[in-house]
Amino acid sequence: MIKAKHIVVLALIAAVVLSAACISQDHGKSKLKVIYAGSLIIPFGELEQAFESEHPDVDVLVEGHGSIQAIRHITDVHEEYDVIAVADDSLVPAMMYPEYADWCVRFATNQMVIMYTNRSNYADEINDSNWYEILARPDVKFGFSNPMFDACGYRTLMLIPLAESYYGNQTIFDELIARNFDPPLPLIKDNGTYTVVVPEVFEPQGDKIAVRGGSVQLIALLDYGGIDYAFGYKSVAQQHELRYLELPAEIDLSSPDYCETYNKAKVTLGFQRFTSVDVERIGRPIFYGITVPKNAPNPELGVEFVNFVLSEEGQRILQDNNQPTIPPEADNSDKIPENLRYVVIKEIKE
Amino acid sequence: MEKGKVFGLFIVAVAVVCIGGIAAVAYLNPFGAPEDAVDWNVTLIGCGGEEKVLTFDEIRAMPSYKGYGGFFTTVGVVNGPYKCKGVPLKDLCELVGGLDASNTVWVSAPDGYLMTFSYDQVNGDFRTYDSATFKEVPHEDLTLILMYEQDGAPLSDYDGRPLRLAIVSSSSSEEFLTEGHSWVKWVNKIEVRTPAASA
Repeated sequence: MIKAKHIVVLALIAAVVLSAACISQDHGKSKLKVIYAGSLIIPFGELEQAFESEHPDVDVLVEGHGSIQAIRHITDVHEEYDVIAVADDSLVPAMMYPEYADWCVRFATNQMVIMYTNRSNYADEINDSNWYEILARPDVKFGFSNPMFDACGYRTLMLIPLAESYYGNQTIFDELIARNFDPPLPLIKDNGTYTVVVPEVFEPQGDKIAVRGGSVQLIALLDYGGIDYAFGYKSVAQQHELRYLELPAEIDLSSPDYCETYNKAKVTLGFQRFTSVDVERIGRPIFYGITVPKNAPNPELGVEFVNFVLSEEGQRILQDNNQPTIPPEADNSDKIPENLRYVVIKEIKE
Repeated sequence: MEKGKVFGLFIVAVAVVCIGGIAAVAYLNPFGAPEDAVDWNVTLIGCGGEEKVLTFDEIRAMPSYKGYGGFFTTVGVVNGPYKCKGVPLKDLCELVGGLDASNTVWVSAPDGYLMTFSYDQVNGDFRTYDSATFKEVPHEDLTLILMYEQDGAPLSDYDGRPLRLAIVSSSSSEEFLTEGHSWVKWVNKIEVRTPAASA
């Protein structure tokens, strides 16, 4: 009978241990929650693994979204993350300052390209001086992401008007974009500036243009031959081993040297899609920004992760995954955590 | 010890382990399905200015539509497919005068999220994708609903409790996905507009 009691006691202990194990499996490691722009999904996947290798007691939980939506998860949905990295650094001060953040480090860049495959019509003919003529041909279909959901989408609608100015051809926007919408998509030209007004339902007519939510759909369309070309980031084209056409720096939004030129292109959303962000986007060089939100549940660990991203190893991982980096720059350098200050080479003044 | 007694103790031990497991699951609450009463209103606004406020219970009392649907996020994370139950958005629009091809429908939530839908979309014209490859696969018989039940349970907060838009098909035979940005969470306002009024 004593043995029987022992078995019952042991069973109870086992049950308690099992319950504790179930619970501790979820709580044993420190959680580091990172939310980032969709175009960073591949390099940040590797950064996650490398950081966890160096910090076996930390479980990095990563989540990708469009840049605006990533910020909204913190500011509007009130979820808590330890690190946020976005594909348009100007969104951080615009949407997060001063309540949710007060510093931001630029750490990476990108450039707009035209992605295609060997099967794309005129793949062996397209180059940086005839691409807009190729895309306008009746037997060519192309795509870009929706400017309402994706920074790459509104950057496409900046690039094409800039091409009018660069190539001295005032019909490029009309032939590629405007006439494929009903009513035609308006481009307002005023004293050397271009403003594209995006209607509330952004759906082209016919099948010349494919507007999709993001690069996931566009790459699938390219893979299956649904379109011949798609506007996108160079890093994404390389990560997916697609062919791509580089465009002149004057229009590809890659170079700070052409900041003034880029500023001439604007995209205005025809309605307030998010109450927390302005409807106007102004052309700028592409910079990725990273910060630790003020309401981060684990801010010290967040800073450590940012430090890792900005470290030599972090920059190497980004570059190995075709994500171009820049020497880190930051605004509000006095607000940056002390152990990040040494990696920032200069303060952004804008 | 008698075989029967050992067997009995074994059963007791298994039962205790099971109870422990259930307690752990209850503690973790992985499904997060809330059971309390829902205090939620949806404001309907017609293009003529007519306004109507429906409570959650009033929406649940309307004729329901059941279907299957799933979505994927910006970065390709697949959610579902789910068995969804709700009220067709079109039926809700009918309560404030309906809509025609010149109208759009704006659906918004208290978190500041807004999606606009064309007349065709309100009538189920959405692009659909294969769930494994994201290849576009046309799918007929789609309905845009205001969902209040997912897989037989109320929505969790994470899934948009208590009301979320969903794009569903009455048939479960073919799995398909739609783009996640149309699945607006926490819906509290539906407005039928004309483009002129929108501008």
